[in-house]
Amino acid sequence: MSSLSARLLISVSVLLMFFFGVTIVVLDTAFRSAAEQAQADILDGQLMAILAAAEATDSGTLELPPDMQEPRFGNIGSGLYAELRDDQGEIAWRSRSALGMEMPTGETPQSGVRVFLDEMLADGTPLLTLSLAVQWEFPNGELRPFVFKIAESLESFNAQIAQFRRQLFGWFAAVAIIMLLSISILLRRLLRPLRQIENEIGEIEQGKRPSLSDQFPTELSGVARNMNVLIDGERARSDRYRLTLDNLAHSLKTPLAAMRALLNQGKSDEFAGRFNEQIDRMDEIVRYQLRKPATSKADSLVLTLIPVKTEVQRLVEGLKKVYHDKGPDIETQISADMQFRGESGDFLEIAGNLIDNACKWCERKVLVTVQPSSGSSSDGGIILQVADDGPGVPDDAVEALLERGTRLDETTPGHGIGLAVVKELAESYGGELRIDRSSLGGAEFRVTIPAS
Amino acid sequence: MRLLVIEDDATLRESLAAKLSESGFAVEQAADGREGLYFALEYPIDLAIVDLGLPEMSGLDIIREAREQGKTYPILILTARDRWEDKVDGLDAGADDYVVKPFHVEEVTARVNALLRRSGGWASSIMAAGPVTLDMSRQELTVNEVAVELTGFEYKIIEYLMVRAGQVISKTELTERLYDQDFERDSNVIEVFIGRLRKKMDPDNTIKPIETLRGRGYRFALERGPGG
Repeated sequence: MSSLSARLLISVSVLLMFFFGVTIVVLDTAFRSAAEQAQADILDGQLMAILAAAEATDSGTLELPPDMQEPRFGNIGSGLYAELRDDQGEIAWRSRSALGMEMPTGETPQSGVRVFLDEMLADGTPLLTLSLAVQWEFPNGELRPFVFKIAESLESFNAQIAQFRRQLFGWFAAVAIIMLLSISILLRRLLRPLRQIENEIGEIEQGKRPSLSDQFPTELSGVARNMNVLIDGERARSDRYRLTLDNLAHSLKTPLAAMRALLNQGKSDEFAGRFNEQIDRMDEIVRYQLRKPATSKADSLVLTLIPVKTEVQRLVEGLKKVYHDKGPDIETQISADMQFRGESGDFLEIAGNLIDNACKWCERKVLVTVQPSSGSSSDGGIILQVADDGPGVPDDAVEALLERGTRLDETTPGHGIGLAVVKELAESYGGELRIDRSSLGGAEFRVTIPAS
Repeated sequence: MRLLVIEDDATLRESLAAKLSESGFAVEQAADGREGLYFALEYPIDLAIVDLGLPEMSGLDIIREAREQGKTYPILILTARDRWEDKVDGLDAGADDYVVKPFHVEEVTARVNALLRRSGGWASSIMAAGPVTLDMSRQELTVNEVAVELTGFEYKIIEYLMVRAGQVISKTELTERLYDQDFERDSNVIEVFIGRLRKKMDPDNTIKPIETLRGRGYRFALERGPGG
C-alpha cells in the first residue's frame, strides 16, 4: 500500500466500521430489552384485568364475562389470547380470540409466580406467554388452583424490531458514507501540497523544472528548501566535475601538444615516431576517460530538456564550415518541439560524433532524423538516426566497433573513440547504439534513448 | 601571408610559429588573451590560430570580439577540450575550423592552408588558373605542368596574389602581409620581386599572369580554373 491517502482511508474505514458495529449492537440490545420489557408489562396488565374480571361460580369454577374490556380478546386471531385451566389441566375458559387454536401448554408454574416464556403456535407463530398459577378462594372457603395464561403474538413485535434495525443500519450506513466522503475530501485538501511536491519532483526528473517552488505550507517548506539545496549541490558538483575535467584536459594536452611540436622540430627519425606513438596512446586514453560519462544519468536530478532541432542545426552549421571543401549535403528531419532530456552537452556529444563520422565517410549525402522514442516529442526520449551514403560498416566489423570503448585502455592507437563515447553515453541514459545499413547505401547509426 | 598565433604555452606557441614560418608564413605571436585580442584587431593578418583556454581572456571572447569588429579572416581554434559542446561553441562564435590538442603540426599547417585557400574563394586544394597551378601544401608552382623554381619570398608573393586571384593588391598590403617584421621596407623591393616572378613564370611574356595597375597595385589576372 503505497499511497498515504489510501492508507488513511482504509484505517479510518476499519475504525468506523468497528465503532458503528459496537454502537449498533448496543443500541439493538437496549432497544430490544426495552421493547420486551414493555411487552411483558402489557401482558402483566392484561393478566391483572382478567384476574379482576374472573368470578367464582357456584359450580366451583371461575367465570369470565364474554366481552372483555380489551377488545382484542374478542376478535378471532387478533394476536392476543387468554385461557384459564383448572387443576386438571382442563380449559375452564378461553378468550374468543383463541377460538379454534391450541395454545402451547408449556410448564405449569408454581403458585403465585409469573412465568414468561417464548413459545410457538402449531403454525409456527412466535408467542410471548405469561402464566400465573393462583389458589382461588371460593365463597365456601374452598381453595382451588387455576392457571391463567396470556399469550401475545410476537409477529408485530418482531416486525417492529426488524424495522428498527433497518432504520439503524440505514442511518449508520448513510453517516458512514458521509464521513468517509468528507474524510477523503479533507485528505485530498491536506495532502495536496505533498502531491504538489511529488509532481514538481517528477518535473525536475523530466527536466521541465530547475527546482521546487516555494509555495508550500510551513510543515513542508523545510523539506522543499532542503531538497532544493540538494539539487543545487548536485548540479554544482556536476559542473565542478566537468570543470575539473576540462582543466585536467587542458593541463594534460597542452604539454602533449608541445612535446609533439618539439619532436617535429628535430625532424622525423625512428625515435620521434615511437615517441609520437606513445603520445597518441596517452592522448586517446585521456580523451576517452575524460569524455565518457561518469555516472548513470537515467534518474539524475540535474537533467534539463534540450531543444533537439536547434542543437542539431548548430552542429550542422559548424560541420559545414569544417567540411567546407567536401561540402556534404546534410539533410535534417526533426520536428521543432523535439526535446531530449539530459545533461547539457551530452546530446551535442552524441549527435556531434555521429554526424561528424557521417560527414567524414559519406560520398555526398548525410541524413539526420530524430523521432520521439515514446508517443510524445516532449517526453525527452529520442531515436536519433544518422545515415550516410558512404561505404558503410561491414557486418563483421560492427561488433568490434561497438566493443572498442570497453577495451580501449589496452588497445593500440587509432580512431573511433567517438563511437565508444556515444555508446557509453547512450547506455548511461538507459539507451543503446546500433549500427545498420542505411537506405542511402552507407552506414546508419541509431541511438535510442528511452523517455523518463 | 601573415598569421597570428595566440597560445599561452610558450613551448607549443614557439614550435608552432617556427613550423609555420618554415612553411612560408609571417607569424605574430601572442601569449595571453588580452595581447591576442589587440593583435587580432590591430594587426594586418590573414588568419588567426586561437587557443580556447587562455589567461586574461578566453579564446571564445577573442573570436566573438574580432567578428563583431568586422574581421573576416579565417580563424582556427586550438582546443584541449574536445567535447562537441566546446567545438560547436567555438564554431558558433565565428571560428572556421578546429584542431584538437595534442595535434600534429602538419595538421595545423594543412588546415591553415585550406582555410586561406577557402578565404580566397578556392574550393580545391590545388589552385589552378590557366596554365598556372599552385599546391599550397607542397609549396609548388607549375606553369604548363613544369615546376617553377622560386625563392621563399617569391613564393610568398605569388601565393598571396593567387589566393586572391582577381583582386587588386596594393604594394603596402603585400609588404605588410609578407614580411616578418619591419613594414617600412622600401616598396621598390616588391617591384623587383614581381619582375623576377614574371620572368620565371612567363619568360616569353605570353600568358601575362600578373597585371600591374598603375598607382593601385597588382592583380593575378588569369581566369580561375575548375574548383576556383
